[in-house]
Amino acid sequence: MTESLRPILAILVSAVAIPVILSLKGRPNVREGVTLFVAFAKFAIIASMVPGVLNGTEYEFVIGQFATGIELAFNVDPLGLLFGLLASLLWIVTSFYSIGYMRGLDEHAQTRYFASFAASLASAIGVAFASNLLTLFVCYELLTVSTYPLVTHDETDEARAAGRKYLAYTFGGGVAVLGGTVLVFVLAGTTAFTPGGLEGLATADPTLARAAFALLAAGFGVKAALMPVHSWLPDAMVAPTPVSGLLHAVAVVKSGVFGIARVVLDVYGTGTMEQLGVGLPLAAIAAFTLLTASIIALRQDNLKRRLAYSTISQLSYIVLGLGLLHGQALTGGLLHIPAHAFMKLTLFFCAGAIHVETHTDDISDMAGIGRRMPLTMAAFAVAAAGMAGIPLVAGFVSKWYLVIGALSLDGGLVFAAALLVSGVLNIAYFWPIVYQAYFESPESHDEKPLLEGPFGGRSDLRADGGDTHDADSHADGDDTPKPEHVDHLGKHHEDHEHHGGPPEGGWDDRGWRGGESTWFMLGPILTAATLSLLLGTVPYTAVFLRIVDTIVGNLPGVVA
Amino acid sequence: MIEQIPVLLVVLPIVGGAVPLVASLVSDRAGWPVATLTLIGQVGLAGLLAWSVSTSGTVSYAVGGFAAPYGIELVVDGLSGAVALLVAVVSLGVLAYARQAGPHSGPFYGLYLLLVAGLTGMTVTGDVFNLYVFLEITGLAAYGLVASGRDASAAVAALKYLIIGTVGASLYLLGIGYLLAATGTLNMADLATKIGEMAAYDSTLVLTAFGLMIGGLTVKVALFPLHTWQPDAYANAPDTVSAFISALVSTVSAYALARLLFSVFTVEFLSAVPVARWALVGLACVSIIAGSALAVSQDSVQRMLAYSSVSQFGLVVAGFAIATPLAVVGATVHLLGHAVMKGGLFAATGIIERKTGATTVNGYAGMGSRVPLSAFSFAVLSLAMVGVPPAVGFVGKWYIVLGAVNAENWAVVAVLLASTLLTLAYFARLVERLYFAEATIHAEEPVPEDAPVTDGSGQAVSFGMIAVVVLAAVLAVALTAAVPELQAMLEDTLPPLLNQ
Amino acid sequence: MLELLNSHYNYFAVMVLLGIGLYMLIESRNLVKKVIGMNIFQTGIFLFFITLAFRAGGNPPIIKEGGGPYVSPLPHVLILTAIVVGVSLTAVALALIIRIYTEYGTLDEDKLKQLYYD
Repeated sequence: MTESLRPILAILVSAVAIPVILSLKGRPNVREGVTLFVAFAKFAIIASMVPGVLNGTEYEFVIGQFATGIELAFNVDPLGLLFGLLASLLWIVTSFYSIGYMRGLDEHAQTRYFASFAASLASAIGVAFASNLLTLFVCYELLTVSTYPLVTHDETDEARAAGRKYLAYTFGGGVAVLGGTVLVFVLAGTTAFTPGGLEGLATADPTLARAAFALLAAGFGVKAALMPVHSWLPDAMVAPTPVSGLLHAVAVVKSGVFGIARVVLDVYGTGTMEQLGVGLPLAAIAAFTLLTASIIALRQDNLKRRLAYSTISQLSYIVLGLGLLHGQALTGGLLHIPAHAFMKLTLFFCAGAIHVETHTDDISDMAGIGRRMPLTMAAFAVAAAGMAGIPLVAGFVSKWYLVIGALSLDGGLVFAAALLVSGVLNIAYFWPIVYQAYFESPESHDEKPLLEGPFGGRSDLRADGGDTHDADSHADGDDTPKPEHVDHLGKHHEDHEHHGGPPEGGWDDRGWRGGESTWFMLGPILTAATLSLLLGTVPYTAVFLRIVDTIVGNLPGVVA
Repeated sequence: MIEQIPVLLVVLPIVGGAVPLVASLVSDRAGWPVATLTLIGQVGLAGLLAWSVSTSGTVSYAVGGFAAPYGIELVVDGLSGAVALLVAVVSLGVLAYARQAGPHSGPFYGLYLLLVAGLTGMTVTGDVFNLYVFLEITGLAAYGLVASGRDASAAVAALKYLIIGTVGASLYLLGIGYLLAATGTLNMADLATKIGEMAAYDSTLVLTAFGLMIGGLTVKVALFPLHTWQPDAYANAPDTVSAFISALVSTVSAYALARLLFSVFTVEFLSAVPVARWALVGLACVSIIAGSALAVSQDSVQRMLAYSSVSQFGLVVAGFAIATPLAVVGATVHLLGHAVMKGGLFAATGIIERKTGATTVNGYAGMGSRVPLSAFSFAVLSLAMVGVPPAVGFVGKWYIVLGAVNAENWAVVAVLLASTLLTLAYFARLVERLYFAEATIHAEEPVPEDAPVTDGSGQAVSFGMIAVVVLAAVLAVALTAAVPELQAMLEDTLPPLLNQ
Repeated sequence: MLELLNSHYNYFAVMVLLGIGLYMLIESRNLVKKVIGMNIFQTGIFLFFITLAFRAGGNPPIIKEGGGPYVSPLPHVLILTAIVVGVSLTAVALALIIRIYTEYGTLDEDKLKQLYYD
């Protein structure tokens, strides 16, 4: 434990930037310069702690003991570093992409957008470095508040409805977390994270301890989009694509997963979890979610919604790994945090680039788009392969550990099977996109295996809980405006009105040299894709696996 | 010197209040400066007192040299010291708002200072009948202030407030009669020992006294279903007055309720008569839920805020009624925090109305860009009220929940946690409209005819008004840092009351 | 029952006054009558205090030679204060009523409600 200013600096550097960004409303270039500078500074600060943490040093900063039980303190341990490093690294990439995306669409309220983004990152790093459950809760709630303006960014009815849903779900989860935190505090007398779990909980009344775990898991499960509290996530896809990419595939949803990881590893500890018998239900919910979400993803024609369901599914891989409570499963689950982040960010960036360049949002309109955007679709293909667990891409490594971990357990066969089936489903919903992009043209493409009909029962119900009317409005696109939105917002130009799909005469050929889009967008796409390849080929050199090994190695009673 | 401060705190505003009243025969311009000078003195004295209490314990003063229990005693411990300081600071702050917004008359400032005197008196007194007198002084001044709006609807609201308020105070007086019959004394400390000694805790006499006194005060606190005066009074009073009384009047009444619980009836009574505690906790929980439900269904923002008070005071009273040390600290934090937040919110609605004419939830649509600072402060205060950490609204709730869990009151814990979502339900739609909706009122449109009371002081908004709102927003977050200090102060003085 | 009435008649009188006052306060539509009801209600409470001080065979509490038992002076003092408070309240209430009457031209609560909410 070393007293250090670095944890708090890493948080504050983007918090301080908020007023600066707000004050630079009239000078967008300087404003974006500030964002980029802060993003690099944040990453540099966090990266500077990596060697120390790998050698067993922990950096600590205590703001103050806020009376009974309320201590605001930050502590960089391997688990926190994993999340913090990931979020800050990807913020740099996303910042570049945001600039390209927002300017490409000539979006309104860009100052608010960048300010909220900085606030979100400050909170996310706060979540990562929080050294006790209460500090984590504080940052977790601030993260909700600071991402709300991003979800409602469009200011359409749909965006507002999504924003309301987002607030209701996440604050509801927040309340559960608060209740759980209070219970833990009362039972154990502290909420400070301790590898291996708090002693007080192991000896506490098991019913109350289970209740506290249920509250915490349910609360964090909202942001981790566990079923049945997942439905805010697809709706939140109305947000601009960089938001969907960084926040709704990395920072926000992973803060939920991260919360569960903290609870499992550092509050209860794997030993107490096993004793209480709460790991298995968690794993079962995760397994159910990852299968169901994969199936629902097959039914989505809107690309971003399909990605959202894919996110729901992939997040449950992580939770599953945590719920299994054993060495390699834990390693796999934790490694899937960065692995999924790189891959899903790539996919979202691709979706956004397609949207900006061609205003196409629906998969059925994307036949032959490989001619128009070859590099983008190549990156998409790489990331999609990783999602399915094809070797050489990041997803393979983490899934490998997960499956091995599951198989090494009694009765883990079910979970291993669920993982493999989900992998197949991943291929089923990603491959058609890639295939039709390169090997078909708009005029001659087959119907893809998109499940159109209802699974059974009434036809106006949808499996994801929405109704068909809902589907229409979503299918119409998130950022592609409906005609009635165009006028009163006045932000979409006339030439943006067309609803996507190939122009007449098919996609034009832009070649492989980046003529398809601006490098502000292509750069981040290729960077993210490269990162997922790096993590898939040299996971140790890419640091993240080493951090994960350190985390798992530090846990008492767990054989890495 | 320190011993005299409690009585000075009451005398100073009364004397100060007489000056503008007399001076108004000649000129109305003396009011503001005199009030400001008086209240600066008041803040200084209250600060000194609070500091003295936190360093060297309870301060008491026998009025007129008659020793307790025969004479009137003024007692200031951690709880009352904190509330007295709050009264002084908030009234000085609202004065900055009143300079531009005010009614600008000598009598207004006279009443204003009289209200400060009444509130401070309620806070520092150690005598139940003296409390009644200050309760009525507070009431009288508040009725007058509510009616000081130019529109006659303010008078209707004030009369309604007066009638209901008087019934409440009269019930309290009747309760004093019962206590007097039971024990023959009026001094709080004396009562605390004699109840239980001279009359059993569960005797009809004591129970009736408890019911009448607490019932009377819940009218003043405006717990559901005795809250009906509040929305009218808050919505029709001039903005300055709304901000002032919403911040302080119910707050000090809730303090008085706590004082009765801990210093007169004591926690032993609550343990000996569980039904009394359950009744109070139940009332508080109903208030939390019903107040929120009513707030959600309001169209006028100010009425919504008034119903929000009903709900938030449910939270405070629940904390006091649970009566574990942590819950009491939480209730006190929430009491003080709510005063700052609600006062700030009302002040912000005043500014938004002046600048844009918006008074309804729908009218607030798109106003975020028209009144950026006030709207932003409004949003921050709303979130603080919802209990988003690290604002003070969260800290209070944390302690109350912690206290409830310690007391193993699971139903209460559930209601307390749900209150976050209920509060969110009515604040989120306002914040959403402020920033993410199409404006329904446009700059060039005249103020709609049905816009509520304006007091004719012009639509200008001064720097002072905005500063007050921004300061309230900053305090709503910054007060969190003062909580440890407050907790230490309460823990030094409350254990004898809490019997631990 | 009669015996109780005989020995505690003062409390019954108080109850009756409180009841009448409260009834007028709630039920009467006329604002002035409401205020009168409020006064009756308070008077009931005042009487309660005063009769509380009574002591059979007690003298007025003025200390002189051979004073003997005194009635309690405290409730008298309290009620003196409470009466002053009551008078002030009535004055404020009447002032408000005059204001309402000049503006709306009615003292009827129902009519006022219509005017008030329009």
